[in-house]
Amino acid sequence: MADDEFRQQALQHLDALHNLAVYLTRNGSEAEDLVQETYVRALRFSHRFQPGTHLRAWMFQILRNTFLTFYRLREREPALGEAGVADGPAPMFHDAPAQDGESQSAHMDLEVALRRIPEDFRTPLMLAEIEGLSLDDVARIMDCPVGTVKSRIFRAKERLRSLLKDYGQPGHERAP
Amino acid sequence: MTNPTDNEPDETGHLLRGALPRWPAPARLRRAVMEALNPVEARSRPSLWLPPALAALAAAMVMVLWLAPALRRETGDQIEYLSRAAISEHARAVLWSDTRADLLPAALPRVMEESGVTLNWVFTGDDDLQLIGAVPTVVEGRRGMSLVYRDRDGHTVVYVIASGPIVPIPERGRVQIERWRPLLRKESDGFSLIVWRQAGLVCVMASDLVSEGDVGRFKQYFAKVRASTELSKRY
Repeated sequence: MADDEFRQQALQHLDALHNLAVYLTRNGSEAEDLVQETYVRALRFSHRFQPGTHLRAWMFQILRNTFLTFYRLREREPALGEAGVADGPAPMFHDAPAQDGESQSAHMDLEVALRRIPEDFRTPLMLAEIEGLSLDDVARIMDCPVGTVKSRIFRAKERLRSLLKDYGQPGHERAP
Repeated sequence: MTNPTDNEPDETGHLLRGALPRWPAPARLRRAVMEALNPVEARSRPSLWLPPALAALAAAMVMVLWLAPALRRETGDQIEYLSRAAISEHARAVLWSDTRADLLPAALPRVMEESGVTLNWVFTGDDDLQLIGAVPTVVEGRRGMSLVYRDRDGHTVVYVIASGPIVPIPERGRVQIERWRPLLRKESDGFSLIVWRQAGLVCVMASDLVSEGDVGRFKQYFAKVRASTELSKRY
């Protein structure tokens, strides 16, 4: 793929990459740095990209690998406790768009619940459900078999449902 | 979208897609990425006019040799130039800067206004390192600011934050400092520098801490400042 074409196509995935970066780093500034680093690396290794394969998945793979290598803080990661969840402060996002109170509260519940799921489970869930990637692509990004991805997504959803019940997410357990 | 668990009603998936906020890339990130993807340096392109080009090449080489000192600033290592500029800022801070910590709170808004850099959070000091000055500056044609710190042994550490086109940080020379991997440079003239990117800005920290033990201390200073400082471009 020519460099110009590569650049043009790579730019199309900027929003999606930034979105995942925010959920990975939980910090607006670090998310931006992570995305920049991802693009610098993608350009540096663009000769390794095989035309015809999924550029979006390849970019996500670089982003996640960069995150795991340079940005991940082990102490930040929620370790699964006996109940399968970990305690921790609510995520702090910068430059959050204005939202009305009720929907913001619902989002925060969902975000807090999502944050309590370990990264190995959260990322495939987001890639499959939010970004719409195929299981094959998610497996490539996560560097694990498709069966493992299915299992992780299933368990992540299960955990999310359980957590949302705890939070009283509308449509689940909220009292009338 | 894929339904990974075929027998399961996909309420959770719907909830995620419908209720989870998305975070599109801010405009400054888009600009920074576009700059990274389209570096200023023009790349050579193959020409169909090879024979005339060869003739022109000989003439051009003569011109290049003649103009080399001037061209060097255009095509050279940006990190190198920023490093030299940061060292100049360090010298300026040591020699002339108005370093009174009590003046800082009043000075910072003006510095932010003039530099185009916003400090959402800034490391102001602890027992080891104190912020003693802040000035707007221009380094290598980039607007920015210099924050001046002094440690308890009297070493000056200057933290230069500059806007402008993104500078790719080379892989070689990077070191792991806690959760970051900035570039560490040791200059032959008695300075150590740490270079990194933050929020689309290029940051250089310069100090006269050069011995092995002192560089360890310098890395600790970097970690303190990096962890407690949050930047954004003002415009």
